[in-house]
Amino acid sequence: MERTDRRPVRADEITTLRGFLDHHRDTFRWKCSGLTQEQLARSLPPSDMTLGGMMKHLAIVDQSWFEDDFMGRGLMPPFDTVDWDADRDWEWHSAQDDTPEQLLALFDEAVRRSDAVLDEALAPGGVGLDGLSVLDEADDRGRFSLRWILLHMIEEYARHNGHADLIRQSIDGQTGQ
Amino acid sequence: MTQTFDKTTRTEAPLRADEVTALRGFLDYHRDTFRWKCAGLSQEQLAQAHPPSTMTLGGMMKHLALNEVGWFGSSLAGLPYPPPFDDVDWDADPDWEWRTAADDSPEDLRALYDDCVRRADAAVDEALAAGGLDAVSVEESSSDGPFSVRWILLHMIEEYARHNGQADLIRESVDGMTGE
Repeated sequence: MERTDRRPVRADEITTLRGFLDHHRDTFRWKCSGLTQEQLARSLPPSDMTLGGMMKHLAIVDQSWFEDDFMGRGLMPPFDTVDWDADRDWEWHSAQDDTPEQLLALFDEAVRRSDAVLDEALAPGGVGLDGLSVLDEADDRGRFSLRWILLHMIEEYARHNGHADLIRQSIDGQTGQ
Repeated sequence: MTQTFDKTTRTEAPLRADEVTALRGFLDYHRDTFRWKCAGLSQEQLAQAHPPSTMTLGGMMKHLALNEVGWFGSSLAGLPYPPPFDDVDWDADPDWEWRTAADDSPEDLRALYDDCVRRADAAVDEALAAGGLDAVSVEESSSDGPFSVRWILLHMIEEYARHNGQADLIRESVDGMTGE
């Protein structure tokens, strides 16, 4: 896939945060592109992470922070009917049974849903970056600002892209930022 | 000897804060996470790679030290590089910091790193006091002009988070330690 740098060097807070998030989503798509189902299911021992598992994991993380934790709208299919008590790492484990196209379609759908939440919250008259999550942590930490969630998603993607760098290199030698 | 870092003292980014406090909180969280990933390892362990990648945790610490004074000191504020980076022939040895870290003790690497973070924070304090997050860098990018302080802070957060991801796998391969 072709990737353009989406991080504007001089912009307001919202444009900059969304630019960095999109840049890391695209970097992750690129790290997973061109690989077969078997390659997406390979790990770099001793870690058991796989790129396919990571794509399914980032789909649920992306969608759940914005649509569920922030808005209270619940998890999207197929995550809404999973028995998480039976397998709390279901998304990592089940990804090996999905085709590369299915994984990407799920990921893109999660991103589309998250972006719809961001468009609504950050539109003129919306709650803005100081808007607070429906989720209220049981400990004394309280609710999450949308600013925190956006920054967390940028670091979450960037960290997983660091994992993806080494896993991808071990699969077919591809490197790059 | 090894480096030490008590993970219970790691800076946590505040859940509800203004932009500057949130950005600096996430940056400090990742600096501390990186210190933790390097703590408790010998010089030989800090020089171990996780093939086929050639990156090492010691090289990464020296690289991130260089990034701190490179972005916040040199690019943002126009300050000269501090020793030992001021004396390197980068054209002859573009990966000098990665390569030479194997010769440094864990304590020396950490002292250099902490010193570079101090210098970086002082440059950020000064830039924010003068012009806030929209203030721009002395150095310009090749195609888009100068960088805002906002961009540089976010870039350093993504830079650290990405290297911490790599550090997760390298550290696990060195002694089995995992964790966010």
